Amino acid sequence: MRPVVSHRHRQPDGAAAERRTVRATSRARRQAAGQAWFDAIQSFGLLVIIVTGSVVLGLATPVFFTAANLENVLYSATVIAVVAIGETFVILVAGIDLSVSAVLALSSVLSVGLVVNQGLPPAMGIVAALLAGAIIGVANGLACTKLRITALIVTLASLSIARGLAFIYSGGENIAPVPHFFVFAQNAKVLGFPVIILFTLLLALLAHLGLTRTRFGRSVYATGGNALAARLSGIRTDRVVLGCYAISGITAAIGGLMITARLEAGAATSGEGMELTVIAAVVIGGTSLFGGEGSIGGMLLGVLLLGLVQNAVDLLNVPPNYDSVVSGFVIAGAAALDVYRRYYVEASLRRRTGTGKQASPSASNSRALESSEQASVLPDSLHDQATGGMSK
Amino acid sequence: MPAHTTSAEPDPSLAISDKATMAPPAPAGPILVASNISKSFPGVRALDGVSFDVRRGEVHALLGENGAGKSTLIKIMAGLYAPDHGEIWVDGRLLPADPAAAHAAGVATIHQDHHLVPNMNVAENILLGRWPTSFRLISRKTQQTLAMRALALVAPQLSLFTLARHLSPADGQLVEIARALSEELRVLVMDEPTSSLSPPEIDRLFSVVRDLQENGIGIVFVSHWLEEVFRIADRITVLRDGRLVGTHSVTALNTDAVIRMMVGRSLREIPRSRRQTGATALDVRGLTRQGLLHNISLTVAAGEIVCLAGLVGAGRSELANCIFGAEAYDSGEVRIGGKPLPPGNPAKAIRLGLGYVPEDRHLQALVETLSVSANATLAVLDRISRYGLLSFRKESETIATQAQALAIKMPSPDVRVSALSGGNQQKVVLARWLARRPHLLILDEPTKGVDVGAKAEISEIILQLAAEGVAILLISSEMPEVVGLSDRVLVMHTGRIVAELDRRKLSAEQIMIHATSG
Repeated sequence: MRPVVSHRHRQPDGAAAERRTVRATSRARRQAAGQAWFDAIQSFGLLVIIVTGSVVLGLATPVFFTAANLENVLYSATVIAVVAIGETFVILVAGIDLSVSAVLALSSVLSVGLVVNQGLPPAMGIVAALLAGAIIGVANGLACTKLRITALIVTLASLSIARGLAFIYSGGENIAPVPHFFVFAQNAKVLGFPVIILFTLLLALLAHLGLTRTRFGRSVYATGGNALAARLSGIRTDRVVLGCYAISGITAAIGGLMITARLEAGAATSGEGMELTVIAAVVIGGTSLFGGEGSIGGMLLGVLLLGLVQNAVDLLNVPPNYDSVVSGFVIAGAAALDVYRRYYVEASLRRRTGTGKQASPSASNSRALESSEQASVLPDSLHDQATGGMSK
Repeated sequence: MPAHTTSAEPDPSLAISDKATMAPPAPAGPILVASNISKSFPGVRALDGVSFDVRRGEVHALLGENGAGKSTLIKIMAGLYAPDHGEIWVDGRLLPADPAAAHAAGVATIHQDHHLVPNMNVAENILLGRWPTSFRLISRKTQQTLAMRALALVAPQLSLFTLARHLSPADGQLVEIARALSEELRVLVMDEPTSSLSPPEIDRLFSVVRDLQENGIGIVFVSHWLEEVFRIADRITVLRDGRLVGTHSVTALNTDAVIRMMVGRSLREIPRSRRQTGATALDVRGLTRQGLLHNISLTVAAGEIVCLAGLVGAGRSELANCIFGAEAYDSGEVRIGGKPLPPGNPAKAIRLGLGYVPEDRHLQALVETLSVSANATLAVLDRISRYGLLSFRKESETIATQAQALAIKMPSPDVRVSALSGGNQQKVVLARWLARRPHLLILDEPTKGVDVGAKAEISEIILQLAAEGVAILLISSEMPEVVGLSDRVLVMHTGRIVAELDRRKLSAEQIMIHATSG
């Protein structure tokens, strides 16, 4: 890791003009290093927390490092990770998708119910479940882009609708037995690795490549970073946003299939409240709620951290009601880190480049603040002016 | 309006505070003195040793081209900016750079954009933040009495209970003046107060201004419309490029003299032959956007540089936005190379060979979370990808070519674009379009917020592009740029093209006359 040069080592200003360019360049390079360094801290920091957390947990309880427990941690992380893939796309375009947990439940009941009740072949049940997810995703996207309703409200509505549909379809009962394929997939292993975990990693890899190496992925970052600039560069931002919500619907539906396999039933109650865990994992992983910044890798670490916290709560016999308090603090801490990064990095960027207009008002504001302290000794009472100053 | 007393004492209803009696200023002497003010922003010297004063009961007009430093001076007087050098004195007291102190000293500013709380009524807005209370509850009765007193002076016809969002711009302005009057008021600074008013509303505003004047309040009046200035002002101060050109009594000046002061004599025509131009690249016919643009028709030929000149608010950027498709318009037709371009479709415009460097690069052009290279290739994603997969090799070739052609200074193409200086950021935006090789490039203030060196480089690039046959529609408020680059100048005024000036007839004075008088 490269050290960040501190302010104390800066040369005093007022050097020759030609040197200024050189210094500006090295300053920019230093910033770039600082930026990369800070980004690294966020991902790396998560990794450090996860590793030390694991070690502490391993020392605290011998159960932690057993294969069964680790597999359990990873297994329970898979569903959240898959749903969080789609959520990452949506948050990258500065949206939010609350409907994921309900889409998951709808997918769960459809994938089993259509087979058990309507007698469809299992493959068709799965296709129908995925289709339902895609339709809800597209509907969310259309409402956000064409009707211009706030994403929070749109997906809150579809959360309610999809969960309701799941309950109507299933009558509130768990639907069983699940088709054999689900049982098979849940237990299948390749070279000793559970297929479910490999499948999750494969999806994450695809999403990562999609975001970093495709035109669509680049458009996602551009739209989230500055939608107007993206549109004026010829990117069809509405389509990009729509695509992200569709992806989120589909990954939520895949999550529904996975939870069905785990529970061996189609349940309308599955995944209740999961949307908040998913969003938390994405944000802890460094994806900015303002859009344009974040990665799948960070998201996976975020999911892992939340899984670890849950596991710690379980293993250490934390009273069950405390676990949400603990996760709450983890989420708050991660969000604070994000805000801190945003302000710290960007403020220092401005301070160090001194470019753009933003630099000047803030400089004069701080000066104005200093002088307002001097000014405060002046007799100045607004109340007096409002009442006494208006005599007559 | 209250009857004005004939005695020398100011009308007590205007709440000239008792502080004034403690330190009485010399009659007709200056209330506010700005001495030797300098203020720099990175890359720009906004004000350079400017002195300015406002006397009791005078209307002092502050004039200058866009970017002459008027706004900076106003903001310093309002305490929003601290000057680098120089001081502001009000009634012999030094004014610290603090909006609250300016307020307390009786310097009120009415900005161009209104500062009323839309969902509060007129009375609440007049006493904003100083609502009278009894037992810690807002006393509506006192509030009404106090607000009524102030409002009666400027707009007795308004109701105290109208919500601010239902007010017309003219009435909103009067409410702001009432707000200023409800406190101790010495100096009222009005930044382009008439820009959104109709002629009768202007008359009403001017009668209010004259009343204030008779009550000994000093008024700073910023306007682009010279005719108005000559109607209302007692003295005129002209700024140019951040320097004081002069302060004169209005009787000693006429419109031509003021324009000459604003434009300066340093701008000579640069004689140059008309460029070879090709086929019509852009053809706009009867473009109209309700309330903003009226029946605009223009053409730009390949290899031609056409400049849209005019004052801020004349509708130039709106026109550029409409042509490119960033905003929709109501009627009219835009053709690019003979092909019709439907409104509101930038993607289609780009496919037809249009490029657009917007006025505000931070808001409209740069994705600051992305790298330099991602920003520079944003408009050519289709050309650097195949089957939707990006080719990083093509991407780095593109940025390398453009960085060399435009001399973009950067540590690496992978740093965030926000790490570059303003001039280099602007070059990245240019690179985005040059990489597409457009037939027609619309440039809206391409050298705004860019240092002098980069300004010259960007001008060179524009000339080079035209020489290569690119049609250029340039919007610029910088006279040297307009005069130096254009083949033709279209002058806009309140959403209309009011004059077309050929290269041979081109001079800064001519442009200014059309831009200010319509």
